[in-house]
Amino acid sequence: MKSFSFIFALLSLPFCIANTQDAVHKQLVELAVAGNGVIKLDPKSFDLITSPKRNWSAAIQLTALDKRRRCLPCNDFDPSFNAVAKAWATTSKKNRDNHFFATLDFDDGQVVFQKLGLTSAPVVQVYPAVEGPRAPANGKVAPIPYDFSSGYEASTLAEAMSRYTPVVIPYSDPIDWARYSTFAAGLLAFTVMLRFIAPILQSRWTWATISIGLSLIMTSGYMFVRIRGSPYAAQDGSWIAGGYQNQYGQEVSVIAFIYGLLAFAFLMLIMVIPYQMSPNRQRLQVYLWTGVIMIIYSILISIFRVKNRGYPFKLFL
Amino acid sequence: MPEAYPLPSNLSSATVTNTASLLRIVTLALISGAAIASRLFAVINFESIIHEFDPWFNYRATRVLATKGFYEFWNWFDPTAWYPLGRVVGGTVYPGLMATSGVIYNLLHALNLPVDIRNVCVLLAPGFSALTAWATYMFTKEMKDPSAGLLAAAFIGIVPGYISRSVAGSYDNEAIAIFLLMFTFYCWIKALKQGSALFGTVAAVFYFYMVAAWGGYVFITNMIPLHALVLILMGRFSNRLYAAYSSWYAIGTLASMQVPFVGFQPVKTSEHMAALAVFGLLQIVAFAQLVRSHVSSQQFQKLLFIGVVAIGILGAAAFGIMTLKGWIAPWTGRFYSLWDTGYAKKYIPIIASVSEHQPTAWPSFFMDLQFLIFLFPAGVVVCFRQLRDEHLFVIIYAVMASYFAGVMVRLMLTLTPVVCVASAVALSTLLDTYIDPTEPEINDDTVSESGASTASAPAPGANGTSHPTTPKKTKKAVPPPQSTSALGQIIAASRSSNNKPRPKGIFGADTRLMVVFNAMCLLAFFVFHCTWVTSSAYSSPSVVLASTNPDGSQHIIDDFREAYYWLRQNTQEDSVVLSWWDYGYQIAGMADRPTLVDNNTWNNTHIATVGKVMASSEEVAYPILRKHDVQYILVIFGGLLGYSGDDINKFLWMVRIAQGIWPDEVQEPSFFTPRGEYKVDDQASPTMRNSMMYKMSYYRFAELFGGNAATDRVRQQQLPKVGPTLDYVDEAFTSENWIVRIYEVKKEDPLGRDHKSANAFSQGKKRKRTKPAQRRRAIL
Repeated sequence: MKSFSFIFALLSLPFCIANTQDAVHKQLVELAVAGNGVIKLDPKSFDLITSPKRNWSAAIQLTALDKRRRCLPCNDFDPSFNAVAKAWATTSKKNRDNHFFATLDFDDGQVVFQKLGLTSAPVVQVYPAVEGPRAPANGKVAPIPYDFSSGYEASTLAEAMSRYTPVVIPYSDPIDWARYSTFAAGLLAFTVMLRFIAPILQSRWTWATISIGLSLIMTSGYMFVRIRGSPYAAQDGSWIAGGYQNQYGQEVSVIAFIYGLLAFAFLMLIMVIPYQMSPNRQRLQVYLWTGVIMIIYSILISIFRVKNRGYPFKLFL
Repeated sequence: MPEAYPLPSNLSSATVTNTASLLRIVTLALISGAAIASRLFAVINFESIIHEFDPWFNYRATRVLATKGFYEFWNWFDPTAWYPLGRVVGGTVYPGLMATSGVIYNLLHALNLPVDIRNVCVLLAPGFSALTAWATYMFTKEMKDPSAGLLAAAFIGIVPGYISRSVAGSYDNEAIAIFLLMFTFYCWIKALKQGSALFGTVAAVFYFYMVAAWGGYVFITNMIPLHALVLILMGRFSNRLYAAYSSWYAIGTLASMQVPFVGFQPVKTSEHMAALAVFGLLQIVAFAQLVRSHVSSQQFQKLLFIGVVAIGILGAAAFGIMTLKGWIAPWTGRFYSLWDTGYAKKYIPIIASVSEHQPTAWPSFFMDLQFLIFLFPAGVVVCFRQLRDEHLFVIIYAVMASYFAGVMVRLMLTLTPVVCVASAVALSTLLDTYIDPTEPEINDDTVSESGASTASAPAPGANGTSHPTTPKKTKKAVPPPQSTSALGQIIAASRSSNNKPRPKGIFGADTRLMVVFNAMCLLAFFVFHCTWVTSSAYSSPSVVLASTNPDGSQHIIDDFREAYYWLRQNTQEDSVVLSWWDYGYQIAGMADRPTLVDNNTWNNTHIATVGKVMASSEEVAYPILRKHDVQYILVIFGGLLGYSGDDINKFLWMVRIAQGIWPDEVQEPSFFTPRGEYKVDDQASPTMRNSMMYKMSYYRFAELFGGNAATDRVRQQQLPKVGPTLDYVDEAFTSENWIVRIYEVKKEDPLGRDHKSANAFSQGKKRKRTKPAQRRRAIL
């Protein structure tokens, strides 16, 4: 009899666990529905959702949204995470309940942050299912960190998370009405104004200004700053980035201005001064602009020497 | 008419013209000499050697062409590249460069000059730079006049932006491509000016040569249509444009399709669609013009206009639908990444990983172009002032090329010619204005005798860059002066364009002297700058490195060739060498061994496989290595010498590329420390420390320091006292300065053990028996 009950207990043990797991799952589903697709966690529910017997998967955002924590990326990223979770909540119930989006704030669960050894936020970890049909075939159930190197956009997050969800997350970027309407309004204004601005558009000097502006900006490294996302200036206020292959945003404006000024000085010499029909004024202008060329060029060389330390030449400065 | 300084008056106009043309020829010859000479630093400082990476393949292919003939080269299947796939070289290469050197080689041999093919290859780029100077001269002559042309030729001859890709030994497609680019543009301008189908055809032939020589031909394919389109939009359509464009496009496109590597792309891919669309548009516009000239009815003209617009819209819609349907291939990644700059990093890391595909910071612009960079906007404005059809070309070219050069460092090469042309136009206009001796009439009454001091005025510009005896064409000039000298008559003859010009001119000799002296100083500084940049930055072969000894003498570091020759001498001819793709061409060229991947990065998966081998632990990598028959692994390690271009610095790209194919097995974040740093010292992440790349780089490195802390000089980090151990590969060779390290992959253990336990056994370690193997398990 004793042995019988023992065997019974042994047999029923998995069912008990399954029962509790079911209950937890049900609870999570409710929480997810309540939170608009995102479960707000505390240390206790964190343990539940990451239970080692889980037959669901979960993407958990560990973040610090409180102003006092001064985590700017957290606040940048949070809307993207919520948008993706919301998109996930629109899938069919069968799929939806197999994967959860959850978030844990640092102020709600310092313990968890310590346990996971996290020193920075935000972090997104994907916990794959451990049991059930959705457990990964290679048996790797350790949490997978999301790689933020491709930015905080919701679309990239949705794309990355779709690898771990039963079906692809039906996320699409919201239509940017403001942008479209601005564009449409601009186009409309343009057509209305066309008659008035046609002389401007047909003037070669408008186009000359545009072309020169473009060339100056491009040759002062504007695309470098844009592609690399360089800051406008350094934290300590210096505006020249050290190193030959690097630059800050402010350098673009300064260098473009210097180039523009030098080109302008040459243009004065070529195109304006010869038409000055007073010898004294003309002489003054020639000396003035030649002096401008010498001095500004010297400044340019001295800036270049800061960037390229090995440069052996210098002018007056 | 007052003059600032006296001109000789006893010269006949024939003498002046003859002297001017003789001086032009002599100056061009000197410029060519300077262009060639300044590119020989590499040969003088090092030796006659092929540089860098891609040139090694070009050299190897040229050798095949020279020794075995053109047909062998055309049908060449190279089984040693991309092992085990092989590469059809004839169909995947731009053959123009090799064909050019092959022709030169055969020509010299026909003249009984037994020149080595290597020397032909090494000196091809300097030789063609002289031709580029000439082509730029011809081009700029069409923009302004021969004196501007000479300035432009001198600029392009020595400007570092072009020298960087054409020093002796830099045997790459760009070596001949810039000449072809400039000459095609020159022919196009000439065809447009004259409405000549002959020049259009010559442009098409050189366009074909360009297509055969360089992938950058797409730049021409889009520049010429853009120019034509702008001309149409400005209402400057003419029969000249029609004849020039149609002859260029029809012949050029058909010819370009003869290159096997290009094939049907000109009618199937988006890069070429602009040219086709403009061709169609031109036909419509020409037809409309024709009908308009024959029909007078107002209604019919209106109908015609609507019809033309409708056809245009329909055509555009057809393009759109065909692109959507996939009949026209969308932009290839390389070109797409020029517009959407974030695209490459996200989807094609292999393109983003190449250093010459990085965006350009402003010091690079200044280094490569120096004072031309701020002179060329002035030149563009001067072009705007006249705005003839050909000036529009320079303007469009300048804007487009400065954008492209900003996005990719290597496209600096396409910006350089237009910068030279535009700055030459600006500088030449400046010198024209200030060397011209005639002084204007003084309108201002308050002026005293300021302009009369002519006695002390010297004749500036007695150097090679400009000469005052050349007739100057200044368009809007003073009324013809009543000069008795021949020079004065020539100047006068060249000025009779405008009937009512505003008076202009410069007073006094001192102002002239001031401006001309300033310009000469700028030019002299430019020469010094170019010489310094060329000798110090752009003449290193990168196969051979140089450093300076404490006493100032040069010390040559020849690790690469040492290692490649070791491979050549000590390994079987068919043993496969695995290395990162950068070194594929060099291994094939210098060591003559099969490689898995090389610089022709056509197969991303294969490259990712190599990346995975480097990024994985030994246990994971070993089966992959054995399946690919790899016998040797070659890694580049700069930690001892401080050579920063080594594999550990490139490692993250290997990881990224591997991650693109196997996102579950290789993950970039796991190679960083928990704080997100890329480290190789004690804090390096376990994945990093177990990776093949880390182990092979630092294997036995700590022993060099004899108990002291080993320091990596590139990354300035202290390495752990106990270095990594290797079980599945053996160190086979390490070069003198440890730059190249070669490992031999072990064969399978004869007893069927894995190498780890075999090694542990031979070292006498007991197998750890912490847990008995779970053989038995309770069955419920």
